[in-house]
Amino acid sequence: MHIPDGFLSPGVAATAWVVAAAGVATALRVERRETAPMPAGILGSVAAFIFAAQMVNVPVAAGTSGHLVGATLAAVLLGPWRALLAIAAVLAVQALLFQDGGVLAYGANLCDMGLSGCFVGYAIVRVVGRFVSGPRGVAAGAVLGAFAATVSGALGVSIWLGVSGLYPLSAILPVMLVTHVAIGLLEAALTGAILVTLLRWRPDLVAGIDTSVAGRRPAVLALGLFGAALAVAAFLAPFASALPDGLEKTAETLGFASRARAALPGLTVVAPAIAGVLGTVAAAGLAFAVGRKLETVNDDAHR
Amino acid sequence: MRTASPGLVLAVGLAVVVLAATAPAGLHGRPVPAWSWIVWSVVPVASFALLRSKRGGLMIAARQLALLLPTVFMLTLPAVLFAAASGGVVVGSALIARSVATAAAGLATVTYLGPVELIAGLRALRLPERFVDIVHAMLVGLTAVVRQVKDMLRARTARGTGHAPWSGLISAPGATLRGFGRITAGLLLRSLERAESLERARRARGAGGW
Repeated sequence: MHIPDGFLSPGVAATAWVVAAAGVATALRVERRETAPMPAGILGSVAAFIFAAQMVNVPVAAGTSGHLVGATLAAVLLGPWRALLAIAAVLAVQALLFQDGGVLAYGANLCDMGLSGCFVGYAIVRVVGRFVSGPRGVAAGAVLGAFAATVSGALGVSIWLGVSGLYPLSAILPVMLVTHVAIGLLEAALTGAILVTLLRWRPDLVAGIDTSVAGRRPAVLALGLFGAALAVAAFLAPFASALPDGLEKTAETLGFASRARAALPGLTVVAPAIAGVLGTVAAAGLAFAVGRKLETVNDDAHR
Repeated sequence: MRTASPGLVLAVGLAVVVLAATAPAGLHGRPVPAWSWIVWSVVPVASFALLRSKRGGLMIAARQLALLLPTVFMLTLPAVLFAAASGGVVVGSALIARSVATAAAGLATVTYLGPVELIAGLRALRLPERFVDIVHAMLVGLTAVVRQVKDMLRARTARGTGHAPWSGLISAPGATLRGFGRITAGLLLRSLERAESLERARRARGAGGW
């Protein structure tokens, strides 16, 4: 999801820098007001862990592998503002020392992976925590949050690249959303795997979430999530179909568009919507499985 | 050898990155100006010379730059194909040249400074103290954490619990995720324990909050 230098127009890069700088400035102000600020050594250590965890690849199938991004995990461990500072440090080191993501594109990358990753994920963990108490709520919420954060990050990347004029937005958006539904599920699974282990070994480390408030019925949450997925799908479908996408454009140029449309009616129109709904349902299933896995953990030990 | 003013070096390096990254590459149907090509030609050559002067060898500098190229090409290729479809070979070549130039300038700047002077440079640029402290702590911890990752992966392979050719998230999802969860959670715990002991040692020596 890292955007390298040379892809964003100066105006877009500057706008993204302003948004990201405002986010980091707010995070620093919030951190300064803390009565018990966390030592920078600990925050840096979590940042180093996130960096290193990205080195541990999971084989997805023969020849391909994926890795953790870690923004939602960091938000659950540290709280969203501190997590934003940790992700900002990770992205800065990646951009400066490893040329992974550009210096000029740093603002956009921080918006997509830091702001979006931490806050979308954290918000969902909080919402789920209101329905499911204790470690199960944290883990299930983090799984859903990691999925949503990845997809929202992909949406951000599409918008930056589209507005910069590099790709037509109508072409890049469906491609990014469909591919990142799969990547989001991987991120969700990896986040869940780490949290299940952590909540079993050291539940006290999960300090970013207060899990003591809960009480609403999980069925209401499930229905709400499904409704939200459908709403997003309904919003995206007409947007994605407003202009021909890359495949349609190529098909029109090469003269087989009408045959393609006859063979696959509306596929390019509804693909992001279908992928979004299926992805959300799969992530919800994953969250349920992770929650079940943690049923043996004593909730009181976590509080 | 210490750099006299790391802040100035970092500022100049970042300015070159920005210049190379913002030089027009022919998008939106505009022509690629001659000065863009000059920038994208001069910057990699200057970066190579800087790397050579710091690393002291032609082949080492060439290897460092060559290591960048697969990543740059992999990231640039989709955009190049898209741009070339509408703007032709010139726009595609311009995008590749721009990406190589920006990555080379960044690499040369940071290699010239090294991690310690990079932190000094960030401080000299008056970035927020707390943020620079976190980046500093991250760099301090990074070497140890990366070494731990490598050790853990080597131990896993030695125990025969590494990935078999057909194992994976699809064929054995439960085992793969459990293994990943344990190895990364273990890594996090070790990282935090190390950071906590470093912090205790700092405070015991009378250092203030970091």
